[in-house]
Amino acid sequence: MNNSKVIRAFAPLLLVVLLLSGCSGADTSDNRGVREPSSHVTATGGEPKAGGTVTYGFPSPFKGLFEPAFYEGEDDFHVLEFITEPLFTVTGDLTTAPGIATWEESADHKTFTFKIKQGIHWQNGAELTVEDWKFALEVIADPDYTGPRFYSVEMIQGAEAYHTGKAKQISGIQVIDPYTMKVTVTAARVNTIDNLWAYPMNKSYFAGVAVKDMPNSDQVRKAPIGIGPFKVKHIQPGEFVELTRFDDYYKGKPLLDGVLYKVFDDKLIASLFEQGGVDIEQAPRDAYESLKKLNNITLMQTPDLSYEYIGFKFGHWDGKAQQIVMDNPKFSDKRLRQAMYYALDRKGIIDAFSYGLGKLVETPISSKSWAKVPEDQINRYPYDQEKAKKLLDEAGYKDTDGDGLREDPKGTKFVIHFDGMVGGANDEPRTEAILQNWREVGLDVRLNGGALKEMNTFYTAVEEDDPSVELFNGVWGLSNDPDPSGLWRENDQWNYPRWSSEENERLIREGISLKAYDREYRKQVYYDWQKLINEEVPMIFVAERETITAVNKRLQGVKINTLSNIIEPYKWWVKDSE
Amino acid sequence: MLLKFALRRLAGAVPLLLLVSVVVFALAKQMPGDGLGGGLNPGNKDPRYVAEMREKLGYDDPLPLQYFRWVKDAASGYFGQSFLFKMPVGELIGQRLPATLLLTVLSLLITYGSSLTLGMIAGRNPGRPVDRFILTASYVTYAVPTFIAAIFAIYIFAVVLNWVPLGGTVTAAASRGLWSSLGDRVVHALLPAAVLGMFNTAAYTQFLRGEIVENSGKNYVRTAVAKGISRSSVYNRHILRNSLLPLVTFLGMDIGGLLGGSVVIENLFSYPGIGTLFVAAVSGRDYAVMMAVTLMTGFMIVAGNIVADLLYGLLDPRIRAGYNGG
Repeated sequence: MNNSKVIRAFAPLLLVVLLLSGCSGADTSDNRGVREPSSHVTATGGEPKAGGTVTYGFPSPFKGLFEPAFYEGEDDFHVLEFITEPLFTVTGDLTTAPGIATWEESADHKTFTFKIKQGIHWQNGAELTVEDWKFALEVIADPDYTGPRFYSVEMIQGAEAYHTGKAKQISGIQVIDPYTMKVTVTAARVNTIDNLWAYPMNKSYFAGVAVKDMPNSDQVRKAPIGIGPFKVKHIQPGEFVELTRFDDYYKGKPLLDGVLYKVFDDKLIASLFEQGGVDIEQAPRDAYESLKKLNNITLMQTPDLSYEYIGFKFGHWDGKAQQIVMDNPKFSDKRLRQAMYYALDRKGIIDAFSYGLGKLVETPISSKSWAKVPEDQINRYPYDQEKAKKLLDEAGYKDTDGDGLREDPKGTKFVIHFDGMVGGANDEPRTEAILQNWREVGLDVRLNGGALKEMNTFYTAVEEDDPSVELFNGVWGLSNDPDPSGLWRENDQWNYPRWSSEENERLIREGISLKAYDREYRKQVYYDWQKLINEEVPMIFVAERETITAVNKRLQGVKINTLSNIIEPYKWWVKDSE
Repeated sequence: MLLKFALRRLAGAVPLLLLVSVVVFALAKQMPGDGLGGGLNPGNKDPRYVAEMREKLGYDDPLPLQYFRWVKDAASGYFGQSFLFKMPVGELIGQRLPATLLLTVLSLLITYGSSLTLGMIAGRNPGRPVDRFILTASYVTYAVPTFIAAIFAIYIFAVVLNWVPLGGTVTAAASRGLWSSLGDRVVHALLPAAVLGMFNTAAYTQFLRGEIVENSGKNYVRTAVAKGISRSSVYNRHILRNSLLPLVTFLGMDIGGLLGGSVVIENLFSYPGIGTLFVAAVSGRDYAVMMAVTLMTGFMIVAGNIVADLLYGLLDPRIRAGYNGG
């Protein structure tokens, strides 16, 4: 089981769920390769030199959809990170910035004129032109396209008509010359660039392949090509991918001769690193202790683009009206929610059960983002049983029958049900500790059905608003752009707590309004939104998870950040290549 | 006669397989989630995409309709498209099958090779130290749960001694061509095959020993010895042949397991074959793959039983006579 990772980005929507701590492979990332001086760099021993190969490990068999437009999981994405690159980059504070492509935006923010660098080559020798980008956008907008990325082109004028088969062309895309392309979008949105699809697809290479046949074509499965520093030499389905240096890479010839991307069982990860069988792999948290003991590796740590939460159910989803209905009064008293926040010893729980690998957060925006509210402007809900008890007393939740547990303000028994997912080794004792925290302040919180749920069962129950679900412990991934739409509005199906308010709606709308083109204004809106969420507590934010990447000391030049541990792999090199 | 018998048995299996498919389909669809919802695949969380996919995949149709659509396709040899891997199920299974076959065949060779040898040695020397040793060893082996044995085997042979590779079916350097890399593949399959065969080896050794000990006291053996046939010839021809009969039943079952592989062993050893594929399919709600793998396994069990019946006849003429009637 891949006890790790989560996801990331996913665009117009902040969506993206993830599993509490477990489950293999099905994670997604749409992040664009990142260029930033990172503080997480392996210690450099000596001068970089060329030669050698390294092994990049992954814990579950990959599916083999090696084309950015079609891949679905992190398993395939890591291979793509070696073989290709997006046209934009994302900086350390999660801002989308020019890369291979630069752009000019019209005054009404609806037309973008993109220019791409000349002289960039595909691994089959052809030169990269905007036709390749246009082709990628057309493939994704095609009526026969079965991948999940239509959201990343739907803002383009005419994409909808093309998608439904009403148009032969996407009217909003206009090629000026091989290096210049104009894209017109349907409306001004402050995060257009963040959401727009940025991976080119080699048009001539896919000539003659119908869009519906692409996912299973040899161009995707057997001999994928990109513009990145490494090219595919051999694919053994589900087991490994052999990558070799691409000498014409536009940033320069990579130092390594090749990379072997290989699937390993991560239960054996410490032995693998000890033996030198693997050089770099994101490690499961449960292996942290045993990896720390090894002296031939460096452990690198970074917060993941995701957060763990405990949500309250406020109502249900009305599928016909496509809207939430807040009809469950159980948690309507804000003081009850805040008291439950205070009563939780989050740090203690993370230290005891997650090896301290988590950073406490109180709002749902990545701590690396430019839009993250400073910690001194919000309530951090420190562990405080007395405060929790006081709030509960004030709210009228008092123990009236002397059994040590509080009754509700009307004096009837008050039982809360808690749901969570099975995954990592510590999940059961961890859940027990959480429930115990609440019991200590007199709240009778019990595990719904007496046991944690398997992931699919858990999310089905949460999504369908099963009446037995009251408190639920889940994980969400985040996208680069801080816009909370998709998860937090009243017409968002994935708004699992089914909570919203007028102020909440107003602020989210404001954050993507025309005024928000002023970065400072937009930032202030998101600060205000986070303060609102922080005060209202529609969910208890537990922590941002820390991911760890283990790197053999012979491998140099590795950087990691919130988005990836494959950053500029053309600069990787090995100290003493055998 | 034999052929007719085999064909009749195969035809009889069709309704059985249909029944299996109904049960598996119903159970699979009863599992919560459909791979599109929940937290499984965040990339799929665009509500519009989820709705479109459910419609495309026919998940919104009534269950019987979905089932009949599957039967119709399956009857024409098309087992659908894998939801997880985005490729035809037949192709996907074709990719995984060689590894599983190698593993299970190797494991059968290990099982029958060692249990025949050990069982004969023990059976010919009842009560002697060598017999006691073999018996004790097989009891111990029998008692150790497979997953524990697997973990120990991995730790000792792959981690500490480093004799065999950790997981996988082939090394990168040797991966070209199925045949040229056969040696390398066998090395990869050796440890999982040994552990997979361990439990059966222990069981069969004891069965065979018991049969041999029992048969050696029978009248026909005394007759043979009295006729002056050499001791080894009596054991190898007369006794062994009669003692093999119960093992043939097991062989039938083992052939049934050939394609299904071992879900537990493949997953413990990160050996990407049909077993690991099946687990991935279940957790990812890949119905087409689940159905195809279960049916394939069901078919092999039926086929294995037929093979066993035919083998009985070869070993025992009295049974052969029954083919005409039954």
